[in-house]
Amino acid sequence: MLKKINVNDAVGTKLAHDITEIRPGEFKGPAFRKGHTVCNEDICHLQKLGKNHLYLIDLEEDEVHENQAASILARGLAGEGIEWKDNPREGKIGLHAALDGLLTVDTAALAAFNMVEEVMCATLHRHSLVKKGELVAATRAIPLVMKRAPIERAAAIAGQHGGAVSVKTLRKAKAGLVITGGEVYHGLIEDKFAPVLSAKLIGLGSDVAGVVFAPDDEEMIARAIRSHLNNGCDLLLLSGGMSVDPDDVTRTAIRKAGADEVYYGAAALPGAMFLTAYIGEVPLLGVPACGLHHRITVLDLVLPRILSGEKIGKKELAFIGHGGLCKDCPGCGYPHCPFGKGM
Amino acid sequence: MKCFTELLNESSAAHGHMCPGQVVGVRMALLGCRLIGLDEPTRRDQIKKLIVYVEMDRCTADAVAHVTGVKLGRRSLKFMDYGIMAATFVNLETGKVFRVLSTEDARSLASVYAPDVEGKSAQQLAAYKRMPDSVLFRVQKVRVRLDECDLPGPTRRKVVCCRCGQIIRDRREVVEDGRILCKPCTEDCYFSHPHEISWPHMNWTPQSEVGAFEECNHQQAFKLLHLH
Repeated sequence: MLKKINVNDAVGTKLAHDITEIRPGEFKGPAFRKGHTVCNEDICHLQKLGKNHLYLIDLEEDEVHENQAASILARGLAGEGIEWKDNPREGKIGLHAALDGLLTVDTAALAAFNMVEEVMCATLHRHSLVKKGELVAATRAIPLVMKRAPIERAAAIAGQHGGAVSVKTLRKAKAGLVITGGEVYHGLIEDKFAPVLSAKLIGLGSDVAGVVFAPDDEEMIARAIRSHLNNGCDLLLLSGGMSVDPDDVTRTAIRKAGADEVYYGAAALPGAMFLTAYIGEVPLLGVPACGLHHRITVLDLVLPRILSGEKIGKKELAFIGHGGLCKDCPGCGYPHCPFGKGM
Repeated sequence: MKCFTELLNESSAAHGHMCPGQVVGVRMALLGCRLIGLDEPTRRDQIKKLIVYVEMDRCTADAVAHVTGVKLGRRSLKFMDYGIMAATFVNLETGKVFRVLSTEDARSLASVYAPDVEGKSAQQLAAYKRMPDSVLFRVQKVRVRLDECDLPGPTRRKVVCCRCGQIIRDRREVVEDGRILCKPCTEDCYFSHPHEISWPHMNWTPQSEVGAFEECNHQQAFKLLHLH
């Protein structure tokens, strides 16, 4: 329960919440913290902040203060790879990455959480690569005092699968590259694909164990795949031969090599002819020629997810569609752009 | 209790179709029973402990009644015509009472929980299976004042309407100016202009049906005899 008192009568009382001060372009933060005992000198400062009245809090048994509420909410939201301090500022708690990795957000649980009245949580886009310590989400209870039951329900919703917000570490893959195309195999042109793909893999902390070149021949491509598997590769990237020309046989070769699941076509541009396949547990990613031309393609959306342990199949490739259109900006600013953020 | 899928299939068959309301009703009943501590509400030793108030006459109400086994005629099912997707579960033995409300949020969240399912009804059906109870329901601890005349068991009281002579059971009479009336004799009645009639085949009894059945069997036996 809240009781309103005139600020002039507040000397000796304890503040019920942080009081925010904003000095444009200079400062935004708590001028006074919750629990501060108001003294004579504070009255003028409080009045300058527009506070002519203050609240005194007398909590009922079934009520919680916004700070306590924020703690309950943060505990529900925080999944693996998330750290947070039980020290709310202005009723807010930030959730931070406890490690470098891929941000995962249970968007259904987040939506359901935010449908509960008087609580909120905002996150970065899921599937964003984040660094240890980075702020990835923040939560707060909106009123100063609220009922405990909806707070606990919101926390339960958020915690359904061990926390709606989590950061997954990327595994260090031992990757094998298969560069297809007779023009490269026969030395008519120089390969540019292997350096591009290697840089992306190394940038995510993986190793490139080997590169095998193969002409547009099903059997030779299949043999290249099998040789990488025999060498212990646990991720394969194949370039070229993903299109619809008669020489494009990579898909068939992948099946021939023993892939039991093949998903061809991603709802992304660039990257429509992208492919994912699985031989046992090993993912195979078929990268179409756009991977050579564009700095960022669907591969950049999918590869971190693969390395985080997510299985990418038909549904995942289809759901990229909303936000899957690259604007092809002259000065590409990815990842600070909408590409791949609509999932 | 049987598993959710089995209960849903049975309930849908009894109701006449599978629909999102059936999913909500089955889950509402499972949650309600769990909260008041009954794990086999239809079993003989538990059935008399349970009273359920349903606040809507929709698909959900049938599913709640099916799973819990409550029945209007047993006085274990109470219909409160509130138009609210809610039901209150009462354990008469322990006094535990919880009101379970289906959230409107769940409808808004169907597309988020089942983005892979097309069609409003199919999407709701799939989503309501996937949502946790915390999204699908809100729960209130409530008090219910149960008059002895509302309880299962024999009729507690009978009085006679002083206007039409109708017997009224269990305190459902209305007293106006000290006079006992049945509800149809007051303004508070769902029908009007009652007018007694005669009807065709007024002397029908179930025995006439039994007679027809025996006749039928006799004819079949006669045919069999002649076949041999």
